[in-house]
Formats: sequence, C-alpha cells, structure tokens
Amino acid sequence: LLTPPLPQERGGNNSFTHEALTLKYKLDNQFELVFVVGFQKILTLTYVDKLIDDVHKEFRDKYRNEFQQKGALGLLNGTFDFKDDFMRLLRDAEESSRVRAPTVMKTFEQSLKSQKTVKCMIETRGEKPKEKVKNKKNKGSKKEGTEAAAAPSKASGGDKQPSAAGDKEELTKDEILQKNREEFFRRHMKAGEKSRSPKPDAQKEKGKKPRVWDLGNSNAKVLDYSNSATNGSAEACPMEEFDPDMALGDKNREPGRLYDLEYESEDEAEEEKVVQNTSKPSAKKGGLGGMFGMLKGLVGAKSLTREDMDPVLEKMKDHLIAKNVAAEIAVQLCESVAKKLEGKVMGTFTTVTSTVKQALQEALVQILQPQRRVDVLRDVMDAQRHRRPYVVTFCGVNGVGKSTNLAKISFWLIENGFSVLIAACDTFRAGAVEQLRTHTRRLNALHPPESHGGRTMVQLYEKGYGKDAAGIAMEAISYARNQGFDVVLVDTAGRMQDNAPLMTALAKLIAVNAPDLVLFVGEALVGNEAVDQLVKFNKALADHSMAQTPRLIDGIVLTKFDTIDDKVGAAISMTYITSKPIVFVGTGQTYCDLRSLNAKAVVAALMKA
Amino acid sequence: AMAGGLEPDLAALRREMSGPAALSVLIALLAVAVTFLIWRFVQGRRSSRKAVLLLGLCDAGKTLLFARLLSGRYRDTQTSITDSSATYRVSRDKSTSVTLIDLPGHESLRLQFLERFKAAARAIVFVVDSVAFQQEVKDVAEFLYQVLVDGTILKNAPALLIACNKQDVTMAKSAKLIQQQLEKELNTLRVTRSAAPTSLDSSGGPAQLGKKGKDFDFSQLPMKVEFVECSARGSKGEEGDADLEGLEKWLVKVA
Repeated sequence: LLTPPLPQERGGNNSFTHEALTLKYKLDNQFELVFVVGFQKILTLTYVDKLIDDVHKEFRDKYRNEFQQKGALGLLNGTFDFKDDFMRLLRDAEESSRVRAPTVMKTFEQSLKSQKTVKCMIETRGEKPKEKVKNKKNKGSKKEGTEAAAAPSKASGGDKQPSAAGDKEELTKDEILQKNREEFFRRHMKAGEKSRSPKPDAQKEKGKKPRVWDLGNSNAKVLDYSNSATNGSAEACPMEEFDPDMALGDKNREPGRLYDLEYESEDEAEEEKVVQNTSKPSAKKGGLGGMFGMLKGLVGAKSLTREDMDPVLEKMKDHLIAKNVAAEIAVQLCESVAKKLEGKVMGTFTTVTSTVKQALQEALVQILQPQRRVDVLRDVMDAQRHRRPYVVTFCGVNGVGKSTNLAKISFWLIENGFSVLIAACDTFRAGAVEQLRTHTRRLNALHPPESHGGRTMVQLYEKGYGKDAAGIAMEAISYARNQGFDVVLVDTAGRMQDNAPLMTALAKLIAVNAPDLVLFVGEALVGNEAVDQLVKFNKALADHSMAQTPRLIDGIVLTKFDTIDDKVGAAISMTYITSKPIVFVGTGQTYCDLRSLNAKAVVAALMKA
Repeated sequence: AMAGGLEPDLAALRREMSGPAALSVLIALLAVAVTFLIWRFVQGRRSSRKAVLLLGLCDAGKTLLFARLLSGRYRDTQTSITDSSATYRVSRDKSTSVTLIDLPGHESLRLQFLERFKAAARAIVFVVDSVAFQQEVKDVAEFLYQVLVDGTILKNAPALLIACNKQDVTMAKSAKLIQQQLEKELNTLRVTRSAAPTSLDSSGGPAQLGKKGKDFDFSQLPMKVEFVECSARGSKGEEGDADLEGLEKWLVKVA
C-alpha cells in the first residue's frame, strides 16, 4: 500500500484498491502518522470515514506524550496497546451506521428538492442563447411569421434586462428562488408563443420543417428541395427555379470577404461580473484583520489549516497553469500538497506562503525524478553481450520531431561506438524515407567507416511507401541480428491519439516486435493536450496487447525545448501522467542538440515568479 | 532637504552621546557581535557532521537495522516514507554518541532525503540485500554511483561501510562477491554516465570516479570503504539477537 500511492504525489484521492480490498487512509501531519483502514471491495461500509477519524483522535490523544517527548525512540520502545480501544470504536461505528439508515432517505428527498432549483437555474441560462437565435433569424429572413414571434420575444427580452441588471447585485437565496419562479412562469408563456410561430412556417412548406443554423444565413429556400418534385429525371429539373439572389445568399455580403465565426460570449461576461462582485466585499473585510494576523502568523508555532492554505494554493495553481502545466494536473498537485500539509505545525518565522512553496517544490522535484532511471547505454551494452540488437521505437502525434530526434540519438550512439540500423516504418508521410536517407548519408559522412574499423555505423532499412509498418520492423530487427548491428531505431508515422485504426496499428507494431524501449516523443509547446495524448496512447497500447503485462510507454523525449523560455510545465504534465522519466530533451535541429533533463533546473524555472 | 534635516539630528545625537554614554554603546555593540560570532561557531561545530546515514534500496533492511541498533528488539517494519533519526550511544564506557538517520529507499524519495542530510553525514552505511543482490545488482550500483559522485560527499569524504545484510538466509552472497560485482558494475557505469548527454543548463559533467586508465576499485575512492556482513533479523529468528558485531565495531571506530 505505502509503496504505490503515498510516495507518488497523487494524494488527491484518499482511497486505494488492491485486488479484493479497498484501503482508505488518513494522514496526520503533525505527528507524521498514517492511519489505514482496509475492507473488502464488495462491501460498501458507510461508517469507514467516521471510524478512521475517531481512531485518529483517540490514538493521538492517548499517546500524545510519547510522541512529543521521545520522538523516534518513543515510537520504537513504546507499546501501543490500542486493540481494545479499536474494537470498541469499531462496534460504536457499526451501531451508529445501522441507526442512521432511515435518515438517509430524508437527505435524498432534500437533495431532490434542491435539484429542482438547480435545474431551473440551468434552464434560464439556456434561455438566453435561444432568444438570441430568434433575433438573428429576424436579420436574415423575410418571413412575416417570424416577425410576429420576434415582437413578443423582444418584449420579454426587454423584461429580462432589468432582471439581468439585478444579477449584478449580490443575490440572496430568496431572490434566486424568486427569480427562478419568474423564469418558470415566463417559460410557460413563451411555450405558447412558440407554438404559434411554427404554424405560419408549416403553411409555406409541406413536409419537414427545415433546420435553421444560427451561424449561417437563414434562407431556407436555398436548402429546400421539396418543391421540385422530380423523379430522377435530371433534365426535368426546371431552370427557372434557380434564383440567383437566393443562391448567393445574404445580399449584404461583400464579395470576396471572409466572415468570422460569430459566437455567444455575453453569457460568460455576465457570469464573471457576478463572481467579481461577490468576491469584492470579502476582500474589504479582510483588510484590517490581516495586519495582526500576519504578525501572529510569523511568530509562534501554529498548525496549518485548509483556510490558511487555500488562497496561497490558488495562486500557486494559477502560476503553474501560466507556466503551461495542464490544468487538471495543477489542480491535483495542489490538492496533494494541501493534504500533505494539513495540520502540520510550522516553525517560527515561516509564513504559510513559504511552507507551501517549499512543499510544492519538493513535490515537483519528486515527480520529475523518475522511478527508474533509463540508462540507454548501459542497456545497449547488456544487449550487446547477449548478441541481440537493442530495439527502440519512437511514437507520437504528427509533427513533434520524431525523425529529427531519431537522427540526433543515432548520432549520440555512434559517438559512443555503437552501430545503428534505422528502420523506416513511416510508410505514409511523403518524403519520410528520403528524410531518413539524407540523415544516414550525413551521419556516415561524419563518421566514415574507416574511422570505426571498416564497418558502416549507420544503415537505413526501408521498403518504400504503403507497406505494413509492423512487418517492416520485424524484418529490420532480424536483418540487424544477422548483420550484427547494436541498436535498431524504429521510426513510426505520426498519428493523432483519437484515430482508432492508426492507434491499433501502432499497438500491433509494438506488441508483435516487443521493442526494448518505447519512447513517446512530445513537444514542449503542448499544453493540456499532453494529458489526452499520453492517456490515449497508453490505453491503446494496453488494450491491444495480448500479454499479461502490456508494454506501455517506457520513456519520454521532450522536443522543441528551445522554443519555450521558462514555460516548462509540459515536462511536469507528461511525467505526472505516465510516471516514466524524460529520457532526452531536444533543444534544436542540429545533431548536437540533445540533452538530458536536470530536474532541479526545471523546477527552479517553474517556480520562478 | 532630507540631508539638511538629518545633519542637525546627527549633531544633536553626537552631542548627547559624548563621554561615557558613547563608550557604553560601543561596548554593547561589540558584545552583541562577539556573542553572535561565538554562537555561529558553536552551532557550526555542533551540527557539522555528527550523523550516520543508513542508505540502500527498498527492502534492504535499513529500518530493521535502525530498530535493532537502538533498542535491540525485533520490530515489524513497513516501507519508510520519511526519515527517522535518533541518537545512538556508541559504546558503554565512552560517552560519544552519533545520530543515526534512517532514510527511505524508495526511488522517488531517496534522492530528496539524501539532499537534505548529506551535508551532516560523518559516515554512511550502505545496506545491501545479499539475497536479492544478483537481480538487483544494476540498481544497487546505480544508487551507489549517485551517492559517490555527489559533490558534497566527495568533498567531505565520509567513511563508507557497505553492510551486506540478510546473511541469515542460506542463499546470501558473501561480502567478497558483492565487492567484486559492484566494482565491475561501477566500472561500466562511470563510462556510460559520463557519456550521457549533458544536462540542460550544462552544469558540468558528473565527477570522474576513481582513476581513468585502470579498472574501478574501491581503494581509488577518497574515502575509506569497508565491507561487512551482518544480519538484522538474526539467525535465531525474531526472538534472538541480531548479528551486528561488525557493524557495531565499525561504528565505534567512526564515532
């Protein structure tokens, strides 16, 4: 239990499932204790949380002296005869859960009622765009029926304005309910109006009512083919029906100009204003008390509470997101830091900010330092001893720099005296094989066979375009084994993570050929997309593998690192998702631009203001 | 205007402070400065390097060794996620004591805790699981290499003891065999590590370990290295004592 979840900074969720058991844990940061409760997964025990809290409190109170005075020796030598207390607490918890069963029903009912008001609020927001669609219809169309509907909707729009102005003040709960009831009634009235407006439409067109797209023109006649009642005879299509005005669409359009996509942005502006106004009064109240609080916080030992940490954590989260860390990962990181620091006693002269920053920095360094360091040269030497080639596969989405970094890595390997076979398994992209051939030629020019005892250090294995990539890879590996190459670098085509057939093909290539190292190439410019890419790649590899333990991504190559100055968050996102190390960092397009990751420097750049 | 305002104030101050008052102020300042210096000096001496670190891979037996040395009793241990430290009286007659610090061996935690405690290290005990050594030899060597090339440790050169633990199991490898295997592995590692691509901010490559031309040998290191066999569990099972004689003797020497 302790090995997987606690050391990795994933402390957002406090339960952990392992085989048939579910384990819930609670941290006591003041005395550095962990309380774990294990129970069978199939049972759903409602009293577990309460039990763990009670146990925590009792244990702490009972043995508080031993912790405070003797430290580690106290832990070693003290006998903790807690069994009787624990059984008692367990019995109490079980009984209380049984008594509470009927009350559970009531809370559900209450939640139903609150659900209703929430629904009302959601539907009122949905009302506004519908209304605006109607207004847009008025602009383009020449129908009178919709004009009639527009008038009452405009009137209700006018009614909405004062209520919208009311939004800008702080709303109490009663006012919200009142507003909801009004909306509710108004919606009923509008439904009556809506039933009127389709009738004039129905008179004009027989059959289906045509769909009106709110972003385009609403000239239905252009899209309406129900008038020409031809039965497959093309020449009977009447020419005089072609109305040049209608075909061109909006008459007001300037010829040759590209219009922008219009979208609703006014809802969001209103929401923001409401949020801002609620936060302003609370800021004013904090002003006076903050002065003494700051002095109090500096001296003396006080324990950290959630409220103290929340503003600092918010700021840190925004800072991380500004540095290009994926949003969900920033949230999870801050959550785990909060869990780790809750209840901890701060020393003198340390502020909340500094403690939180320190903890966050440690967490980031821990994430970047991998579980197992990937030493490619060491593993290649091992494979050399066993007389088989070391196979590395590069995968990633389009345009991240797979082929470029493959060339850089082969240069590095040649410098260290290993012979390389490049397998061109990108059979789709035009020019992929030629690109690799050029790299091979250049590398051979830099390291001619004469200076390496007469053997060619780099060779390209290709079979042209359009063939099956997995087959080419297999042939390349057996060719390398026959010819005695030390390393095989397999270049695959770039593919989007959503493209299921291509992901299947990649998974098949990896499952069939069983490479020694699967490297995911990702660019440092990617933001929240990194999470999606890595999750889907790993999932595809796991789903299509036949083995018990599927081959997943073993390492990450972070490319285009020279294009970001200090927005290095992508490194954090990628290592957090996969828990695999960043093996290489690409910092340019020449052969020497290959580096390894320095965790401390990256974290320093990330935490820099 | 500011300077003009200050000058009459300074002149007034000087006039007030003439005579014995000035002298007493000067003496007070001097006393404060001297106390400060003495305090810094004493603190520096006190905290400098009185710690013995227990390092090693996960499941090597560090926490049990720690418990045995301090209390003599067997204890069920879990994977450590944080450090534990306590003072250990080295021998009965002398009053010297060292601070034993047990650090977690988990990969994501070990370097972090090493950073924190390496400056205070007077000696390092590197605990090796002798039974699983053959499978783990690469990981053991890698961690040992990381400890040995660390700048602070190279500078301070604390005494190093490689404790081959779990000797109570029959399949345990001997200390001699472990030494040979580690030397071979470290020999390869120093070549591959120095050939790795340079770090991002190019803070210089890793330090060279041992002599360049010859094969790596533990005697080439700037610090004293010893190998000792021990068993934290003890050959008589959980009730009996642990076989820690070699370790305890070395601790007496080091303290």
